[in-house]
Amino acid sequence: MADDYARAERHLRDVAEYDVERRRRYVDLQPIDIAQIGELREAILNHLDAHVEAFFGYLAQYPEASGLFSRRNLLEDARRLKREHLIAMVGGEYGRPYVEQRVALGALYSKVRLDIRLFLGAFQALSRSIVNQIMALSPGDGPKGFQRSESLMKIVFFDIGIIMDVLIADREQTITLQQEAIRELSTPTLQVRDRLLIMPIIGVLDTHRARQLTEGLLNAIRANRAKVVVMDVTGVATVDSKVANHLLQTIAAAGLMGAEVIVTGLSAEVAQSLVTLGVDLTKLNAVGDLQGGLEEAERLLGYEVVKTRVQVARRPLD
Amino acid sequence: MVVPILKQSDVLIASIQAALTDADLLQLRDDLLAKVGQYRSRGVVIDVTALDVMDSFATRTLRSIAEAARLRGARTVIVGIQPEVAITMVQLGLVLGAVSTALDLEEGLELLGALNRKDAPGG
Repeated sequence: MADDYARAERHLRDVAEYDVERRRRYVDLQPIDIAQIGELREAILNHLDAHVEAFFGYLAQYPEASGLFSRRNLLEDARRLKREHLIAMVGGEYGRPYVEQRVALGALYSKVRLDIRLFLGAFQALSRSIVNQIMALSPGDGPKGFQRSESLMKIVFFDIGIIMDVLIADREQTITLQQEAIRELSTPTLQVRDRLLIMPIIGVLDTHRARQLTEGLLNAIRANRAKVVVMDVTGVATVDSKVANHLLQTIAAAGLMGAEVIVTGLSAEVAQSLVTLGVDLTKLNAVGDLQGGLEEAERLLGYEVVKTRVQVARRPLD
Repeated sequence: MVVPILKQSDVLIASIQAALTDADLLQLRDDLLAKVGQYRSRGVVIDVTALDVMDSFATRTLRSIAEAARLRGARTVIVGIQPEVAITMVQLGLVLGAVSTALDLEEGLELLGALNRKDAPGG
């Protein structure tokens, strides 16, 4: 919950930073519009509950909006904010406080994962309810009602713009968080013997991750004083030419730091893309699998693994 | 800035302490090659730990030192190339060619020992 609020706070900042003035210009909000809306204030305030109901009544029809209705306190918050929204909507002040109020409501929608399409539908139901009332205010004078509605519509689109920004900012936030999570999963370097590191690489190697891998590997070589690194790419299905090139550069850089890199587990596809790169592969020390790579590394480091007697006795199953 | 050159039995150790100008590098080359002859050294270790940039001139000079020293009977090992320097060199296509590299001074001396043993007749 706490980080929900922190996130909402961030949106508040991000979206409110947007130039309020420019938003108003985009929807062409003129003083005359504000004056026209002023004329409607009292009538709309008198029917506040009906309008709020139009919005929530619309959402209640759809099971997709259950996220909002299943959490009583959120629903109450939303109703309260919506009421405040309508009051502010005819209040004539559309500055930063107004935008921040919209952002708070948008953050709430985002929290209950309200579908953007549903939100638009509900907002349409709300504005229809208001427009109907406006038209009824000036019976026999259609053009006047139309002008007033038009002014109000500008505010409606002003609001939609803000809510959209909040919902989009939230999705982008989610994507960023996921990317960070994936990045953290990244690529460990493990020391298996003195001066010997292994670096298992699993998953998709993109340019970003390849760069991170380079950094991690070279720093690990320095930190562990590694002489041989076994880079196992069994878990890598494909690499594009850019990443393959980067890997070769990493190996060359490790060489400059005095460490030899043994690449193991190259799949047929990866091997082919390395070949089609047309770069010098003679310096690439590749071994079929991780076991072979470790044996080669031990040979390079002068280790000899000698089998003594078997220590692990097989226990009978209970 | 003059790079101090230390003699440790049959190995010369040049430890670069700060960024060098092109003239400094050439000075280093001349000093090293002269001392290889003077002390009849079998190996040269150039420590570049303190360098955070290695340009094409530096790379070329180090390479030429190594080649010239080999002609005068000494093997050269460059030690202490930093991770950032290493990847930049590779990306810029700066190659040290046949020059050996090692992680640090200790490794470099060990590597020189191994190289010279291999060179030694019957070794």
